[in-house]
Amino acid sequence: MSMLQVEAVTRLFGGFKAVDGVSLQLADREILGIAGTNGAGKSTLFAAIAGQQPANAGRIAFAGQDITRMPPYRRARLGLVRTFQIPREFKSLTVHENLMAAAANPQGERLLNAFFQTRGLREHEAQLAAKADGILAFLNLARVRDVPAGGLSGGQKKLVELGRVLMLDPRCILLDEPFAGVNPVLIDEICERVRALQGRGIAFIVIEHHLQALKALSHRMIVMDRGRILAEGDPHTVLDDPRVQEAYMGGVV
Amino acid sequence: MLAYLCAIGIVALIYCLLALGLNLQFGLTRLVNFGVVAFFAVGAYTSGLLSLQGLPLPACFIAAGVLSGLLALPIGLLSLRLRDDYLAIVTLGFSEAVRITIQQESWLTHGVQGLPGLPKLFAAWGPGVSDTAIFAVLACIVGLVCWGTVRLTRSPFGRLLKAIGDDEAALSALGKDPARFKVQVFMLGAALAGVAGAFYAHFITFITPEQFIPLITFYVWMGLVMGGSGSVRGAMFGSLLLMVFLEGSRFAKDWVPGVSEVGMASLRLAAVGLALILVTLYRPNGLFGGPSK
Amino acid sequence: MTWIDFANLLINGLIEGLVVALPALAMTLVMGVNRFPNAATGDLMTTGAYAAVAVQLLGGVPLWLAAIASVAVTAVVSAGSYQLIFRKLAGRPMVASMLAAIGLGFLLRSLISFFAGHDQRTFEMPLVRAWNFGGIRILPTDLLIAAIAAACLAVVFVLIYRTSFGRQLRAVADSADLARASGIRAGGLMLCLWLLVGALSSIGGVLLGMKAIVTPEMGWESLIPAFAAMVLGGIGSPVGAVLGALVLCVVQELSVPLLGPSYKLVLSFVVLALVLLLRPAGIMGRVQLVR
Repeated sequence: MSMLQVEAVTRLFGGFKAVDGVSLQLADREILGIAGTNGAGKSTLFAAIAGQQPANAGRIAFAGQDITRMPPYRRARLGLVRTFQIPREFKSLTVHENLMAAAANPQGERLLNAFFQTRGLREHEAQLAAKADGILAFLNLARVRDVPAGGLSGGQKKLVELGRVLMLDPRCILLDEPFAGVNPVLIDEICERVRALQGRGIAFIVIEHHLQALKALSHRMIVMDRGRILAEGDPHTVLDDPRVQEAYMGGVV
Repeated sequence: MLAYLCAIGIVALIYCLLALGLNLQFGLTRLVNFGVVAFFAVGAYTSGLLSLQGLPLPACFIAAGVLSGLLALPIGLLSLRLRDDYLAIVTLGFSEAVRITIQQESWLTHGVQGLPGLPKLFAAWGPGVSDTAIFAVLACIVGLVCWGTVRLTRSPFGRLLKAIGDDEAALSALGKDPARFKVQVFMLGAALAGVAGAFYAHFITFITPEQFIPLITFYVWMGLVMGGSGSVRGAMFGSLLLMVFLEGSRFAKDWVPGVSEVGMASLRLAAVGLALILVTLYRPNGLFGGPSK
Repeated sequence: MTWIDFANLLINGLIEGLVVALPALAMTLVMGVNRFPNAATGDLMTTGAYAAVAVQLLGGVPLWLAAIASVAVTAVVSAGSYQLIFRKLAGRPMVASMLAAIGLGFLLRSLISFFAGHDQRTFEMPLVRAWNFGGIRILPTDLLIAAIAAACLAVVFVLIYRTSFGRQLRAVADSADLARASGIRAGGLMLCLWLLVGALSSIGGVLLGMKAIVTPEMGWESLIPAFAAMVLGGIGSPVGAVLGALVLCVVQELSVPLLGPSYKLVLSFVVLALVLLLRPAGIMGRVQLVR
């Protein structure tokens, strides 16, 4: 059974089909790359899968459950999380607090418990803090632990987003252009982290324009154009597909 | 002189409470509440009416807070579906609707005639002492609310409020539904406004619907923005600035010849309007200050 | 309620609706293009009404001439407010523009009440008796008001849908970036828009003053109904603003036998809340993201 199943999903804006009958499957522990020209509908597809812009038609199933109509927060609770093209860090919180805000903490986050912190709650908070610190260490962000997230570089913000979703112990992460605006050294670091996480059992879908990096990272690749899937297959050969070449208008692929 | 300072101190503390409530709603969570005065009014009238029925004052105050908080529930639920600008106008409309309802339902509220002769807090202790006592109690309460707000801000709940204020959709994508928190913080801020209203009613002892106009809401906004929203310090400082402004303008009448009381009220409104414009233009940090304390 | 009563209320509602349509249209234009609700719209109406009163008092001119002068004055005030205030707040979060608009409203209202006092005023108009068609009463002035309002609306619609100005405006409303990219000079366009908005508000204020009385609060009291009309009709839709105003005012009038005249504003608020809850796009709106 595949982890994520997208069947003939369409997303409309007015009359315009941003995503047009797209189907794909994501297997357990797979890294699926999605490439495509600008405006191909890649981010919109993510928004349909994660729920920010639900599909107008089609069906999406995650780990066997139909999530087509679920609000975003419920999809995230199932283990399907995403990052954003333009990082959406919580600017008024520090890096560590960003991760703490993400952690599932229903008891601790109750209004009354703001004033009456039992020992159990304090311990739980400490556990979460330690987990957050662990993730920050893994992402090499420990140095900026207490820096307000609004003051970080673009690449660091992307890592904070990744750190946040990791607090949820997700099963599938949708990465939207993780390398955009990030310096090349950091790109390699991010790729390493993604592979490490995949090794620990997390599946990924990655949207990227950095085709070299995406090819190296992905197990399988999809190319989108104008809302549809143009080609699908091995990362190293799919980009040689004449249809893909044509879509990219002779650009170096 | 002392009595005068005491009196304006009390009003300043009342505005502090209002500002602290708005700070929770907007400063932390970015809920644009243009209807603060509605909950202030409901608190004042609730406490006033109950006290006239003979209920002891502490109970009236509690009822004021509770009722205002409950009134915020439908508005809070409505806010879940609304973007900033719509919420602003809806809350503004709500406050006017409340005022008109109070005005019209004279069988309950005595309408435009208002409620005179409300029991003053600590009246039994004599005029001079009672004001001092009110000031002292209010100061304690404001202090408690300050402490509570700081505690709240540093708690996981507060962390979540700030996250919601920063980017609600991002929080949603992390598996948390902001709805419950927004409604709760709306109600909490409203309850504070209600308690402030009760203090107001039992200090000036005579309330009418005309006192609860949108101008009051924007006094509070002005104070919050001038002081710096998002922090308790800012809310307090802003309330102080506001009082200086309000009281100062009372004296200004003596300097500006030939201006009647009514004319002075107009000029004061003009100054508020101008202040709102200038502050939004030239003090953006007032609205969107740095990390909360 | 008899059929005659119903007809009277309906007519009154339609006339009022045409008047409210003007500020509603002004608000929806600003909402569509500048993307914030201009809470100063009501007080611009008041400014227009008082400008006309002033010109009539000082110049002894007929109302129509005073109204033209007031349109000019209010248009300038409106355009000025854009240049000096709202243009600078364009990049900032909406709260800033809204607070500034509230502040502007306060400023206008206070200056008016300072110089003109709080007394009710009326325009100098010839006194005419109402026509009576078997119980259905129509004031000739009301008909004139309705005609003027309708004419203004027609002019604005021609402007929006049949001129290049209107085309550019609609382009910017759809996407500011797109409009910029295609070389439309946004600056001059905005100024013209805000002049238009000021003119509309001013005429609305004068008509409202003709229909009822002129007080410093008159425009502010029309703000929530105008907003409700805009939302009911669908944000950003000029046709919607007019439809919304008509529907809202008719409903308001029909509610008077039930709730009394003082609850009209409360009804506006309830309509506003209901529409936003149930059908945020309004009658004509696209699925505008209210959330």
